[in-house]
Amino acid sequence: MSDATKLPLCLPEHLRRPQRRAKRHGIVALAILGAVLAGAVLLPDGALSVNAATRAQPPQPAHLMGTDLLGRDIAARTLAALAQSVQVGLLAAGASTIMAVVLGLAATFGRMADHVVGLLTELALGLPHFVLLIMIAFAMGGGTAGVVVAVALTHWPRLARVLRHEAQTIAASDYVAISRALGRSRLWVARHHLAQPLVPQIVAGFIVIFPHAILHEAGLSFIGLGIEPHLPSIGVMLSESLREIMAGHWWVAAAPGLGLMLVALTFERFGEALRQLSNPAGEEA
Amino acid sequence: MFRPLSTMAIALSLMLPVQADARPLVLAIGGEPDGGFDPIMGWGHYGNPLFQSTLLRYDAGLNLIGDLAEDWILSEDGLVWQLRLRGDAMFSDGTPLTAEDVAFTYNTARAAGGLADLTVLKEARALDATTVELELTEPRITFVSRLATLGIVPAASYGSDYARYPVGSGPFKMVEWREGEQLVVEPNPHWHGGAIAFERVSFVFGSEEAGQALARTGTADLVAVPPSLADAAPSGMKVLHVDTVDNRGLAFPMVFRTGGTTAAGTPIGNDVTADRAIRVAINQALDREALVALALNGHGRPATGPADGLPWDNPEAAIPGNDPAAAMETLETGGWTDTDGDGIREKDGLRAAFQVLYPASDSTRQALALGASDQLREIGIDAQPSGSSWDEIGALMHSEVVVLGWGAHDPSEIFYLHHGDYAGVDYYNTGHYANPTVDAHLEAAEAAPSFDASLAEWKAAAWDGETGFSLKGDATWAWMVNLDHSYWVSDCLDLGPLQVHPHGHGFPITHDLPSWRWTCE
Repeated sequence: MSDATKLPLCLPEHLRRPQRRAKRHGIVALAILGAVLAGAVLLPDGALSVNAATRAQPPQPAHLMGTDLLGRDIAARTLAALAQSVQVGLLAAGASTIMAVVLGLAATFGRMADHVVGLLTELALGLPHFVLLIMIAFAMGGGTAGVVVAVALTHWPRLARVLRHEAQTIAASDYVAISRALGRSRLWVARHHLAQPLVPQIVAGFIVIFPHAILHEAGLSFIGLGIEPHLPSIGVMLSESLREIMAGHWWVAAAPGLGLMLVALTFERFGEALRQLSNPAGEEA
Repeated sequence: MFRPLSTMAIALSLMLPVQADARPLVLAIGGEPDGGFDPIMGWGHYGNPLFQSTLLRYDAGLNLIGDLAEDWILSEDGLVWQLRLRGDAMFSDGTPLTAEDVAFTYNTARAAGGLADLTVLKEARALDATTVELELTEPRITFVSRLATLGIVPAASYGSDYARYPVGSGPFKMVEWREGEQLVVEPNPHWHGGAIAFERVSFVFGSEEAGQALARTGTADLVAVPPSLADAAPSGMKVLHVDTVDNRGLAFPMVFRTGGTTAAGTPIGNDVTADRAIRVAINQALDREALVALALNGHGRPATGPADGLPWDNPEAAIPGNDPAAAMETLETGGWTDTDGDGIREKDGLRAAFQVLYPASDSTRQALALGASDQLREIGIDAQPSGSSWDEIGALMHSEVVVLGWGAHDPSEIFYLHHGDYAGVDYYNTGHYANPTVDAHLEAAEAAPSFDASLAEWKAAAWDGETGFSLKGDATWAWMVNLDHSYWVSDCLDLGPLQVHPHGHGFPITHDLPSWRWTCE
């Protein structure tokens, strides 16, 4: 980044290299995500079951983050919920990215296609984001499938716009014009000249959509349109905690809230790190 | 801008001792009817019609006493009710209530076919201004419950917008109803029941959380709260737990899946729960005390039947639960064994697995589904909880197990839940249960010459020594708990003696609202 050039020279050398810092951040982020996924898989049998004897207990050695009104361990439940969020996020972000890539590349197929893609993108961006999410999730009848479809169908426009812009820049370049003049088809040009330079954008876009997808999954579950309420899900846990906070059970909200923030931040950092590593502009520093 | 005069006026008015009977009462107890306040369409079926009055009513001990009717008599053959009305009853618009209005209400309700089930009524006739005769098509002893729940509407002004603007002879008249927000009522000056201690009563609707917030700010005087949260009452309020027959249980599909479907095209039957050994084992295994502790924070009672403790309940029919050893023995004897070592039993290649559907919006039923599922896994039955909307439950309830709840001051509910004629009708006999002996007992109960005489037949339908719908017999349900209805009540409010409440947390508590009193200045 250009900011890095203004860093005081007294810093140790390794801090002056944004690339290396980005790498470190990326590795830490990956490690945290790996820990979440592995932790959820390694949860012992019965860690998520209800227990009348341990209802609404504050944090203590046996239950590090306390228990909820049904006696379930909140730490274990949060871990399982985060893993589920990551999986939903992965699916939704993957689907969104594919849509964005298809539309972004389609925009280079002539003026008409470009207009259509541009119009679609503007239309989708113009609609309030969460309203669209709610409508799609509701139309799908809620549940995990509804959340994935809703998130997938609402997160492509930004990335599609970026890709379309990049693709147009490349499409206007001399070597593409030469390729076309030599009789290469549009598809051949898209495959050989467009796809490769766009890979860093696509990967970074995918990672950046991720935390959004997770947050929106939580949002939909929070208002009752997402995952079934007895399954571990951050949104469900937060909405359940609403009534318990009033009774003074703060810990019921603490773990899922902090966990969600941590995972979303981690992805944000990971995406940023990846962008820095892949962005040629970063090398100017 | 600071206005000293008006500020002083407000401060003064707050300091002046307000007359104890003039304070408005604010209730946050939910129960807003979807269809408005029309008794003919079912308003008042659970609890209290508020704006209308009924021919008879239940007192706190569930004895029938007269309200609009001064005396009443059932003919020898059990077919004709003759009631004499009080002469001084008036609608809130000042017109007198006559036998014509009663006949109109009953005839219209029979034709409308709403929740007030009057299919057995042949005709209602006004003999003179204060005498009305209700003729039935067949003896039906539970018809007396209709007399206590159907509010009388005015024949002269009843119309299509009645549900929105009700006029009745009950203790209150409507001032304003903003749907989804609040209902404001005032005492009906023409009511025949005496003076009411409140100038105005507001019913605030909205979420449970909103009601609790109102209680904490001291705005609401009576708030319905979920049992699990009841203990943390805010200052100035006390906790009230009311005993109920509001029960929750697992309703089993009772027939094998043979490809049959309902009129709506949804499947009927479940090969696992159609096996009596499974249903009996579930009843033997469930630790109902633990479920009360888990789902209700201890504010409830274990349930073993649809009407625990009511006169038509048969205590003989219950079996003790919390006995996993006996349950496993039942399963072994029934041929259910764990052959592949996954902890779940099988029989002829069929896994002992089914879904337990609960409405996703109901946290108590969710807790019951989860608790039952955990307990059943220990005896090798895989009961998978599944949160759904009521629409989805309606489609799946004939082929999967559902957490349902009932409970009424009326044994006709026993009839609807277990009689073969009601198989697949509404939320009644969802399991398509049909046992000719049970049907005969139920029909004999309805045909009994008096209410007391019918009790023995209701009990025999549950268990007559050989068969019945209860846990000892066909085990059509696994009843789990009877809820306590929990409220926060202002320290200044005296509710008087309370009934055992029916199904429906909220409105039933207003049954005796006219006799509530403030106790502090």
